[in-house]
Order: sequence, then C-alpha cells, then structure tokens
Amino acid sequence: MATTVVNNPYEMAQAQFDRVAGLLELDTSTRDLLRQPLREYSFAIPVRMDDGRVKVFRGFRVQHNDARGPSKGGIRFHPQETLDTVRALAMWMTWKCALVDIPLGGGKGGVVCDPHNLSQREQEQVCRGWVRQLARNVGPVADIPAPDVMTSGQHMLWMLDEFEAIHGGHYPGFITGKPVGMGGSQGRTEATGYGVVFAIREALRELDLDVKGTRASVQGFGNVAQYAIRLYTQIGGTVTCVSSWDQADQTSYAFRRESGIGLDQLLGIADRFGGIDKARARDLGYEVLPGDAWLEQPVEILIPAALENQVRGDNARRIHPAVKLVAEGANGPTTPEADAIVEEKGIRVIPDFLANAGGVTCSYFEQVQSNMNYFWEKDEVLARLDVKMTAAYHAVSDLAKRRKLDLRDAAYVIAINRVAQACHDRGWV
Amino acid sequence: MTEPAVPRFARRLFDPDRRISRIGDGPLGGKARGLVTAAAILADRRAELALPGIAFDVPALVVLAADAFDAFLDRNDLRPLLAEEPSDESLGLAFRRATLPAEWLGDLRAVAEHARCPLAVRSSSVLEDARESPFAGVYGTKMIPGNQPDTDSRFRSLVDAVKFVYASTFSREARAYRLALGERPEEERMAVLVQEVVGRHHHTRFYPDLSGVAHSWNFYPSGPARPEEGVASLALGLGKTIVDGGSCWSFSPAHPDRPPPVGSARELLELTQSEFWAIGTGPPPPYDPMAEAEYLVRSGLGEAEVDGTLRHAASTWDPAAERIVPGLSRPGPRVLDFAPILVRREVPLVEALRRLVAASEDTLNAPVEIEFAVTLAPGEPARFGFLQIRPLLVSSRQVDVAAGELDGADVVVASTSALGNGTREVRDVVFVERAGFERGLTPKVALELETLNRALVEAARPYLLIGFGRWGSADPWLGIPVRWDQIGGARGIVETTLPDVSVEPSQGSHFFHNLSSFEVLYFTVSPAAGRGIDWDWLEKQEIVARTDHARHVRTARPLLLRVDGRTRRGVVQRRA
Repeated sequence: MATTVVNNPYEMAQAQFDRVAGLLELDTSTRDLLRQPLREYSFAIPVRMDDGRVKVFRGFRVQHNDARGPSKGGIRFHPQETLDTVRALAMWMTWKCALVDIPLGGGKGGVVCDPHNLSQREQEQVCRGWVRQLARNVGPVADIPAPDVMTSGQHMLWMLDEFEAIHGGHYPGFITGKPVGMGGSQGRTEATGYGVVFAIREALRELDLDVKGTRASVQGFGNVAQYAIRLYTQIGGTVTCVSSWDQADQTSYAFRRESGIGLDQLLGIADRFGGIDKARARDLGYEVLPGDAWLEQPVEILIPAALENQVRGDNARRIHPAVKLVAEGANGPTTPEADAIVEEKGIRVIPDFLANAGGVTCSYFEQVQSNMNYFWEKDEVLARLDVKMTAAYHAVSDLAKRRKLDLRDAAYVIAINRVAQACHDRGWV
Repeated sequence: MTEPAVPRFARRLFDPDRRISRIGDGPLGGKARGLVTAAAILADRRAELALPGIAFDVPALVVLAADAFDAFLDRNDLRPLLAEEPSDESLGLAFRRATLPAEWLGDLRAVAEHARCPLAVRSSSVLEDARESPFAGVYGTKMIPGNQPDTDSRFRSLVDAVKFVYASTFSREARAYRLALGERPEEERMAVLVQEVVGRHHHTRFYPDLSGVAHSWNFYPSGPARPEEGVASLALGLGKTIVDGGSCWSFSPAHPDRPPPVGSARELLELTQSEFWAIGTGPPPPYDPMAEAEYLVRSGLGEAEVDGTLRHAASTWDPAAERIVPGLSRPGPRVLDFAPILVRREVPLVEALRRLVAASEDTLNAPVEIEFAVTLAPGEPARFGFLQIRPLLVSSRQVDVAAGELDGADVVVASTSALGNGTREVRDVVFVERAGFERGLTPKVALELETLNRALVEAARPYLLIGFGRWGSADPWLGIPVRWDQIGGARGIVETTLPDVSVEPSQGSHFFHNLSSFEVLYFTVSPAAGRGIDWDWLEKQEIVARTDHARHVRTARPLLLRVDGRTRRGVVQRRA
C-alpha cells in the first residue's frame, strides 16, 4: 500500500466538483459556495503524555456544507492527516449524505497522530482535547462526529462524555458510532461493509453475474473490509485475496488463497487495527505477497477498502482483465487518471460516496434513535440500510443510463444537484 | 426434486407480471411448489375453467427460500439451542432476539412497504416437499393485518411473523411429528410464503366470504355419495376454522344439496358453524409476536350478519316448524349451510369447484386436496382464490375383510365404517376408561393421552388408540380435543360413542389428511349397530401405565388391525 499521497485529495475533489458543476450548468455563486467548505477549524491539542512530557497534536474539523442538515462526518487519527485531506473528505460527505438522501450535511475531522504509538490514556486525552476545542461548534443540531480511520466507539464515548460535561446534560445525538447499549445502533458496526455489498449485489444483477460465481480481492482489513467480506461470502462470493497494513514493517502485504480466504481465521491472527500476522498467515497456507498484489488478482470484483489514492495512473493498468466491477469501500481510492484507465477497460466503478454510504446512513439512523432515546431491532436497521442503499444505487444507475454517464458522474450529478437546490431554497445563492 | 422456476422478487409484490416471486436461492418448500402448480393449472386450463361470474386466481405471493432459514439459524448460532430441545417459550424468545439475514431484509421491507393489505405468512416445508408427506397444520401460519399506516410497523409485524414460522419448525408439536415420521429433527428446512389474504374489509374485520377444502376422494362417503366423487368442506371466514377441526359444512360436490347425515334438523343446527375467524383490522391487539392468533379475532354470526356476509352462507332455523328455512328473510337463529350457493346455486361455486378439482386431479394424475377462499362482493364476479394443492394419499393395496369376520370370537374391535386400507400389528393399546368418563373432562384427557403417546413414541412402539367422540374436535363437548402431536404415535385409532356422547364422527380435514397419509387405520364404532369393542378383554390386559382417565395396556400376543378400503369393513383381532 503506498502511503505517499501522489495527488492532493482536495484538488481532486474540487476538480470532480467542477466537472459536474459544468454538467449541471451551475451558476458561478453556487460553484463558489460549494467548491470550498463553509467553515474550517484548525487547532492545537496539548496532551500530557504518560512519560510526563506535553505533546501538542494538530486537530481539524471542516464543515463543508450544512444546507440539508447538520454536518456529519468522521474523525480520523492518522499520522499523514492534512487539512486538505479533511477538506476533501468533508466535501465528499456532503455529496454522500445528499446521494442517499438523508437530511445531513458534510463534515470531517482529524488529528495528526498515530494511535499505534499512544496509550489508551493518551488517546483519551486527545479525544477530550479535540472536543474542548470545538464544543461550541459541534453538537446534535450543528455537527455530529463519528468514528473513522483508527478511531472507535471508545473514542466516541470519551468525546461524548467530554461534550456532555461541558454542556451539562445528556446529548447522545451529539456523536455516532457509540457502542450498542451506550447509545449506539444495532448494525452500525456492519453498516459500511454491508452497504458496499448491497451495492455490489445490485451491480452484479445489472451485469447479469451470479454472485456465487464471482471472486473478489479486497484492499484493507479494517472494519469496512471485514464486514464487506463477511456479507459477500455469506451471499455466495469468494474472496481470494486481502491486503493489510503491517505496522512493524510500515508497509502492506497481500494475503492470497485461491480457494478463498477464511475471514474468521484471519481475524484470529489480526491485531485490533486489522494488521494480519504474516508468519501465522503463511502457516495457515496463505501466500504472502507485496501489498499492491491485491490489485492484480484474477477476480471479478475489486474492493479497495483502505485509504485514498490507491488505484492510480501508475498501477491501474495492472488490474486483471477478469475484473468487471470496482466497489470503492474507501474514500477516494481511485484517482481521476486511474478512473480513465478503468473506464477504458470496461470496468464498472461503484463510486466511494455511493458504495460506502452505508456507514453514514446507519450513523444517521443512530442519531435518530439517540435523539428519541428509542432503539430499533437489528432487523429494522439493516432493512432500512438495504432499502436506502439499493434505492441510491438504482437512482444512480438509472441516471447513468439515461444521460450516458459513468456511475461516479451520475452520483455526483444527483448529489450536487440536491445540495445546490437546498442552498437555493435557503436563499444562500 | 427440481425446483420450479420462480422469478426473483423485484421489490414490487403485486406487479401483475410477477405475482409469484422468490427471495433467496434455496429450496422453496412443498407449499410454494403447490402454489406454483396451482398457478400453472389456472393458466393452462383457462378455457375449461372459464365460468361466468367466477374469477380464479392464486393470490400474489413471495417466497423467502430456505437458504434464509439456514442462514438465520447459523448466523445467530441457534443450532446448539435446538439440540437442547427447548420449550416453545424459550425457542420463541431466542428466535425473536435473533436477526434475519441482512441480505434479504431489504426485500422484506419492500414487501412491507408495498403490501398494504392483510398477509398470510405461511410455512413451506422442504421436508414436506422431499418426502411428499403432509405437514399441514404442524407448522405455524401467521396472519398479519398490514393496515398499520407506517412501513416500520408493517415491517416489524412481518419480521416477527417470519420468526414465528421459523420457531414453529422446532415447536414441541413439530418435533413430535417428525419423530413419528422417523425424521431427525434437524433435517427440516423451512421456506416462508408471504401471501396476500383473500378477503374483504368489514368494519374492524377482514375475511373471505367462505373458505374451503376439497378432496377428490371421499374418505367418508354417505348416502348416495361415492368415494371418487370427493368431498368439500366450507366455512365462513378464514380457513382456520377448517384447519383446526372446527364446525364447518361438508358436502359432496356431486350432491351439493344433500345435508350431512345427521339425525334431525335440530342436530344440524347444533353442529353447524357458529363462530368464524377474521383478521382484526381495528385497534392493534396486545403485542404477542409468538401467538399464532395475535391479529385474529373470532366473531359470532351476529357480526357476520351486520357485515352482510351471511347472504350467501346462511339459512334460518324456524323453531316453530323445527326446520331450516333458506335465506335470512325471517328472524331466528342462523344456520351456516351455504344453501344459497349449494342449493339455490346463486353463485356457480359448486361447478367451479368440480372443474378445478378435476383439472387438478388430471394435472397431478392423483387424487388431490385443494384449499381455497372466496369473496362475493356485490356486483363483481366471485373471486376464487386457489390457496393450495397437494396430492392426497390413497392406498392401493388390497385387503379383504369378509363380513363374517366381524363377528369372530377373536374380534376386539369391529367396524363397518372404517377408513384407510391395509394391515398393521400392534401390542400396545391406549384407551380412555369407560368408567368415570365425562364430556367436561376431555381437555384433561387430551393431556393424559399426550403423556402416554410421548412415552410410546420415544420407545418406538406403535399403538392402537380408543376413545369417545370426535377425535381432534375443537369443541371439547363433542370429543377429545387432541392435536395431532398428542396422539401421533397411534397407528390405529378407534372412535366410538358412549350413551351420552352421541355425535357424528369427526370431519376435520387436515386431521384426516394426516391420518390417511400416515396410513393410520381408523375405526368408527357405533355400539348401537350391534358391533363394538371387547372392553372386558381389554381391561384384563397387562397395565403398562395408567392416568386418571386413560390406560396403556400391552397384549401378550400382537393384535392384527385390518381395514378393507373398498367395503370399509375394519377389524382388530387377537392373533392366535
């Protein structure tokens, strides 16, 4: 897995926006409003470390647009975090919420840190520090954070606790991704990964492919990848390769088994961030290959479910001819150059903000449940998720066919049009 | 067995081009297969079935295939619980807490969203399909009203109903039934049908004007009726009345105007249906997802008269003349004899039934049982909903029981109106004690028989069962209200009368379908006819177990049970 950002994701997001704004013939003021965030917060989080020293972490929150409802977006803990990455991700959140038609805007936050190197107490202090800096600018009716890369339900609870301490009351709707029983929603853990598979299922039907005859290769072995693998294999597919980040080696490896990987087996030898123990994997009969090998597998489906910019101009040609479908579980995994190559190869791409919208959809369900303090059964959550995802997929696919667009452009057209309309309706532009 | 070609559910239940669809790829089970056949019969035999005033259809349905059932058990780790043979209550609770497979929930929600009408959530057993064995009435069916204004509530009812049907697969009754069949409990797999209910709205009730079951072979021919002319039973409201063995109106389609063979018109009045089942569409009932009748209401004929549904179903008892007068024009107790349809032929239902049974028999090339429901909306053709078709087992082995054999010295039971055909040997007999038997005790007797039956089933010992009144009667005053699982190990059953328990033999069609399919020999014994039961000998046999009102004895030498299906003579003899 390449960790160097070869493209600035914010510029990439703006370029995508500009192209679709052209398709939609948006007026200049609407373009100016939407191609940059409404609000940005960048701040320092001083934390006294376990050894007694104080270390200052950099935190961000970007609220790209809240014309359709409170901002919604995750908080990432990552050593390579940049404000531009957060801006791009906030913008994508706006489009994602609009695309699945939930009444939320887009936001994103992050802290430049590596939780692998932080104790639990230090991570708690980072979380509490982040909330102290933003307590007046976030909340159930303003901006609702959620877990993201290397943050979990525990981080959300620390943040919630800090927020409630500051505001003197209980506000379970302030944050999502909380553990079940502590204001979390049933099905939230599975939601993003399952959502990816709901979209894959619909795409396979359109491609007239029986899922039982398909294979997939997955980049990443975090939450999204794990649950996508779970449901995809449950409905009959075979995952032959999965890649994961190796913390010790600071690189990624791909784990391949032609007959299909065993999800529970690999989970048994993975750390809590999804890093698979390569020595034990070899013992279990997996081939351990360089991280990029996930891209070259003879499979029908690729599921990039790690970080952005993983399918690029320099590696997209290595995609195997058997591949028919790319389902972007991660945010922004495919660069525009790679998009062109993938299109040339005749591969259908389910764009990130459609494929992985299950997470935010279920976060929205969690927020609704938290606000009313009444929680649904898991059947109900997953059924609503399926309905939202399937409806969104078909809306995109129908428009793509009607206007002869690829799925990404069609999705952008739907989403941006909805947000632009909300801005117009509010009288902003 | 090849699965019928059924298109995939397209999130639109009542799409006219897709009235039968599937969710999931696994087996669809026996009931779904039957309905696919039913739809094919209606399509292929359109010309011969065409009758003015009758519109046949198979109500729209979607089948949740059995792979969803497997996934439900596996992903929720329910199989270890099943191995513990849990109580029905713990089973229900565990199933309710479990989650249906994620990949099919969206489709189910779409069903709930689109189907704003009452739905029947019905079991469709794979074992039934594979074995061609009857499981009618063994597994749960749940009716849900579909009238909640929001999709969420309708979806919750639907999900609860699916889990109810799943749980019913492993109910105590179902486990005992499979044990009696020699099946391992874990072998069953269940598909679930979600089907539009045929009926009309009346105030806070939804029900069909009549439901029915028809057999192309009559196990109880009486008067001029011949076995091959078949038999049909009709009830007002939902078919649950017939399934449960409640009072309904039975007739021969060849002689529809002949009433059942009872002693007097007054007796007929007492034996006809006085209550009916409907789906309640009023205020929601108390939440009780594991109750089969959660959304059902039982109403009296007074309500039906207000609803206007007695018009084609009832006559009136004239107490002064001690006779039944067709129609509702005069006041008096109503009698559900369906005379406007069967005698006055106001609706060509008998002809429709004859044609459909003939077409079904021809298609399956075997005697058949069909289920149906009919609505009779004023000014519209009668809607004839074809709800089920399955082959009816009729034994072809020849057994000869000569008339003289009934009077032999070795005879323990003799009957001139026996059912079934064949020969059995047993050494165990369970009989209800003559002394101290009272009609009011029948529910207790049923429980005692269940205990004795369980021990015999576990010991794999087939037995002969002897008791008073209508077996399986829903009315405890007419007989012993057993369910099939409470007597499922019996291979011979004797139904007899006591002087104060003089009622007609039982006619519950599902019960009898089970009996005949298990090839249980059934002896109706009327002591008044001069032949009966050698009680004195039975009471001298070695007692194995005894309850307050029943006794399990074992004979030193086997008893031979024989029924001649052509002459309907049956005999139980001591073997030399």
